[in-house]
Amino acid sequence: MSPPISRRGVLRGTLGGTVLVGESCAPKIVSERAEAPAAAPVATADSPSQKLEFTVNGVARALAVDPERTALELVRSDLGLTGCKESCGHGACGACSVLLDDVPVAACLLPAVALHRRRLTTVEGLAPAGELHPVQRAFMAEDALQCGFCTPGFVVAASAFYRRWRAEHGNAEPDRDTVAAALAGNLCRCAAYDGIIRAVQKASSGAYEEPLGPEPAAPRYDARDKVTGAARYTVDVQLPDQLEGKILRSPHAHARVRKVDWSRALALPGVFGAVDLLHGGTTIRFAGQEILAIAAVDARTAEAALAAVDLDLEVLPALIGMDAARADGAPPVYPTRNTRKSAPNASEGPLLPLGWDGNLRGPFQLFSTAKHRARRAVQRLREQPAEGVLVEGTYKTQVQCHSALEPHACVAHWTAADAVTVYLSTQSVHAVAEDIAERWGLRRDRVRVLAQYIGGGFGGKATLQLECVAAVELARVTGRPVRVVLERREELTTGGLRPAQEIELALATDRDGYLQGVTARAFADAGCGVGSNSTVLLRLMYAKAPKDIADWDVVNHAPPGKPFRGPGGPPVFWALEQAVDVAAERLELDPILLRKRFDPNPARNRLYDWALSLKTWRERQPAQSDRGRHRRGLGLAVGGWFYFVQPSARLQIDAGPDGIVASTACQDIGNGTRTVIAETVAGVLGIAPADVKVQIGDSSLVPGPMTGGSRTTASLVPAAIMAAEQLRDELLERAEQLLGVKGVAVPGGVRHPRGVVTWQQLLAGSPPLRFVGTRKRDQGGYFLPPMYDIAPGRYVAGALQIVEVEVDTRLGRIRVLRSHTGVAAGHIVAPALARSQAMGGVIQGIGYALYEERRLDPKTGALLTGGLEDYRIPGIGDIGELDVNFVEDGYERVNGRSVGLAELVTLAPAAAIGNAVAHATGFRPRELPLRPDRVLQGIRG
Amino acid sequence: MTTLELPTSLDAALGRAGEPRAGGTDLTERRRLHLSKGTVIDLRDVPGLDAVTWREGQLHLGALVTLAAVAEHPDVRARYPALAATAASVATPQIRARATVGGNLLQHVRCWYYRRPGADCLKSGGSGCPARTGDHLFHACFDLGPCVAPHPSSLATALLAHDVRIEVAGDREHTLASLYGDASDARRQHMLPPGALLTGVSLGPPLAGEQAAYIRATSRARAEWPLVEVVARLLVAGDQIDTARVTVGGVANLPLRLGAVEALLVGKPARPETLTAAAAVAADGAKPLAGTAYKLDLLRGAVLDALERALAQPPTPAAAPAPAPT
Repeated sequence: MSPPISRRGVLRGTLGGTVLVGESCAPKIVSERAEAPAAAPVATADSPSQKLEFTVNGVARALAVDPERTALELVRSDLGLTGCKESCGHGACGACSVLLDDVPVAACLLPAVALHRRRLTTVEGLAPAGELHPVQRAFMAEDALQCGFCTPGFVVAASAFYRRWRAEHGNAEPDRDTVAAALAGNLCRCAAYDGIIRAVQKASSGAYEEPLGPEPAAPRYDARDKVTGAARYTVDVQLPDQLEGKILRSPHAHARVRKVDWSRALALPGVFGAVDLLHGGTTIRFAGQEILAIAAVDARTAEAALAAVDLDLEVLPALIGMDAARADGAPPVYPTRNTRKSAPNASEGPLLPLGWDGNLRGPFQLFSTAKHRARRAVQRLREQPAEGVLVEGTYKTQVQCHSALEPHACVAHWTAADAVTVYLSTQSVHAVAEDIAERWGLRRDRVRVLAQYIGGGFGGKATLQLECVAAVELARVTGRPVRVVLERREELTTGGLRPAQEIELALATDRDGYLQGVTARAFADAGCGVGSNSTVLLRLMYAKAPKDIADWDVVNHAPPGKPFRGPGGPPVFWALEQAVDVAAERLELDPILLRKRFDPNPARNRLYDWALSLKTWRERQPAQSDRGRHRRGLGLAVGGWFYFVQPSARLQIDAGPDGIVASTACQDIGNGTRTVIAETVAGVLGIAPADVKVQIGDSSLVPGPMTGGSRTTASLVPAAIMAAEQLRDELLERAEQLLGVKGVAVPGGVRHPRGVVTWQQLLAGSPPLRFVGTRKRDQGGYFLPPMYDIAPGRYVAGALQIVEVEVDTRLGRIRVLRSHTGVAAGHIVAPALARSQAMGGVIQGIGYALYEERRLDPKTGALLTGGLEDYRIPGIGDIGELDVNFVEDGYERVNGRSVGLAELVTLAPAAAIGNAVAHATGFRPRELPLRPDRVLQGIRG
Repeated sequence: MTTLELPTSLDAALGRAGEPRAGGTDLTERRRLHLSKGTVIDLRDVPGLDAVTWREGQLHLGALVTLAAVAEHPDVRARYPALAATAASVATPQIRARATVGGNLLQHVRCWYYRRPGADCLKSGGSGCPARTGDHLFHACFDLGPCVAPHPSSLATALLAHDVRIEVAGDREHTLASLYGDASDARRQHMLPPGALLTGVSLGPPLAGEQAAYIRATSRARAEWPLVEVVARLLVAGDQIDTARVTVGGVANLPLRLGAVEALLVGKPARPETLTAAAAVAADGAKPLAGTAYKLDLLRGAVLDALERALAQPPTPAAAPAPAPT
């Protein structure tokens, strides 16, 4: 490092899920403050500004703006209307939708000067203050949202449709396709599309003209803030004197850092400080890797400063993709033991020590069972095919990006020399606060991480990551609050990705269709990351069968993988569940009946019986019934998933004259944490969920679980029940003292011989009460004892997916017509939310199967799919009709009887689509995504 | 320092150095990527360019007419149905509300090597085409060189199927062919001289009784750039195809008219075997890149689809349109 080091701190620990280059595991943070940061260079006399007159939400405004400004910047920064969100930045997602003279437009592509003498309406202006637009009411009541980040854009676009539709059609209800066409410019990564369509249909047919009744207005606790734009996400935080941080990234996939000199950049007006993000390393291992970050008065100044950094990189040959990394003579990406230790961890758990052979790391085969028997079963059928059925094949999957609509974002603010408040878009306020305290050598109670609203995570925001490191250190060195927000291209580079896989799978049955063994070898492309295991998940399936399973990482010069909703699951189920269907075809057996033969799992068996009872299944056509251009097929696949428990999880209830407050340092990423807590506490006391005030998203509360690894519900529900029961028992005692007779708890209060006294009455004169519920272990314990504060439960939750597709054999397009999802995950606490979450998982599976594909330039490793135009997540017209069926039996020994389902539901859809395509056309797909070119090639043979 | 100019008349807008801006849906992103620098000439205050009018029996679209207006205009829908269908399928409702006829025709390519920070390709002033040797999954299958990005304008594909005249202030009247040239100079998006402004297009007289369709082959249902797009216009007299226009996009760095397909249609009976035979030659003469051979199959399928779909449409009205009040 050539710049003079003015402040320097050595920080402990490692960065989970982020990239450490270089040869050291003890990263150093080097940062520097600009000597005398000059005032802002913008809006000076010589920079032209443009006068605008327009009305905003009915109020006339006159402003002078920088001519390069977009309406989005003006609305969010100058007007402070942050319901309008920036997400993709190029008109593909609609999160920034506003009305220009009542017509929805994308504010990110609208020059600010275009507002002149026009009427601008944002989500904040759709209804008079304190009131709701009918579309907003419908979104609340129909639960047409999850994380809520895209919701204002949807509501704005839908309000224009509503107005136009009702003017032309009165109270007629628009069909699904009409609504989808009107909202084709809006994307929802949580994929709450089904609820959105329903909400818009109902609002447009006049069902929400009147204000919602007093209770319950919405099944989702925090719906109102989300539909009105009042919900503040990290990207919306604006503190006094806040600076903007931007990250300098390597344009090259493989390079040696010869020199980094930021002195010229720091001398620029408006630039306040810089931080090194290489942590002493000198090797670049993917295009887009973070080198340093600079804080300045605004984003443009920070970008100009990045351009002024003197960066000297020695460009080295790059290995892009698994084939290049496995080629003979390919140089190792990690040449030494020390550098291997610095490889980013793409998994959720700790990395186990494994061998390396060039760029191959593995095999990881700890979870094989009776592996020799499995191998023998496969080998025997290779030699004597008539003895049974052997299905062998290589199944390939692509890189899928998390691409939450709220990008990774952080605002850090040092409130004292030893105290920092960090606003962070994170799935774990509690754990990240601990990591920050450790890395900056602070007392834990001097670090506060806040995340009131999070615009989606999907596994990509679980740990302390570099946008947070950069913001915290820049804020420390500059003495001002600093915000760092990734742009969409950065998000699609380092925001997280599901590794690509090549899985060689063989499945052997005897002649009667009993499973004799499964062998699988998986090769994962987690870029320069390691730890991506998929075949281990085969142990969740068909438990009695011998299995020989092994995983390898194939490291190369590409961005590192991260855990993504059901890590390893969709690829391995894509392989396994298609192989099972091939076996069923050869055995001429119903695929469900064959699975029942394989499968002792009680949860899935309940689902098999449900599926067998479905008319859709019973009356399905024989394979390849359609011979024309459009061919329909029905496919099925199943999945299994762990539930996890975080034993440290706590839930605190404070009760007194002011009511009941439930709190925990957990967060809500759209999964419904607030609702689950409110429903659970309210359920114990027999009161309305709205009468429980829920406080989360703050690391200063009692420790709560990470929202990831399907653990939130399983961890929090028992703790909430415990705390609520303690409160109930305390109030029962109090009632006895007050009344002199023993009462019994009934919904809403205590019944006694003379009547009922409500909880509210009992609390009215009560001193403040506090109870902290914990997560007691399940009866019979866990599958494995808790390690790193997480334990996998003893039971495997089940999902069954049926998908009906239509294949256009002329244009190669696959359309999902209908999907039926069965979920066996115990008691469902909040059914409307669970249904939405399940459908979202299915739709993400549709995206994985048909559209989504991160692509890099094969030579340079540069990201090609750098926006939501080229990185194609499913839209509202791509979902078909969906239904979800919960089979709530079982799980009696699980504390709370509820386990997570977020990951479970996204495992099987791709395989079900593969089976449906084969059922429709006879083409057995092996490689994802099922793009038109692959479909045409597959069908033509 | 960038400047913005807001001329208040067409005359005042001419002869200026800089890039004109209509709706801004393309330019705004290119400004952010620094692919467009220098002065912006914003046409916000230039009057008279946003009307749809009949002129001597031909429909005229002002350069600032939005795609949403094209898609919804009753005369376009009735008399030029393929154009209306094309405009309705471009991008998203939010973008169609701002994107204009002129902007759509003159927008820059969507190539993923071009639209990124630090782009280094022929279009951005570099010396080679990284897509040609790199990942060109969505690129041309008629390799007319040197840039292999498909022409981005769906509207151009539709207008090529009409006898369209391009009005330009500050230059002669153009056809689409002369507007785009032969694509041999990859640096140019179009052949208009600096300082000139595209002011509108005249669609040619409507073809009474035509049956027309637009097909956009994509992965997702909506809001996606086409892998292949086809416009077909047919006029059937008796049971014979009297006139045929078939144009395609997404396959070359220019919109293409498929003369060979048209030749196999004209004078033939309007029957399935005619359409099949004609569609079969749709990809003749194609020169696919290593990764775009799949588009040939797709193109033949999409042409057949467009022809079939066209014949399934009701013919446009026979009577000449009433001239609109001026």
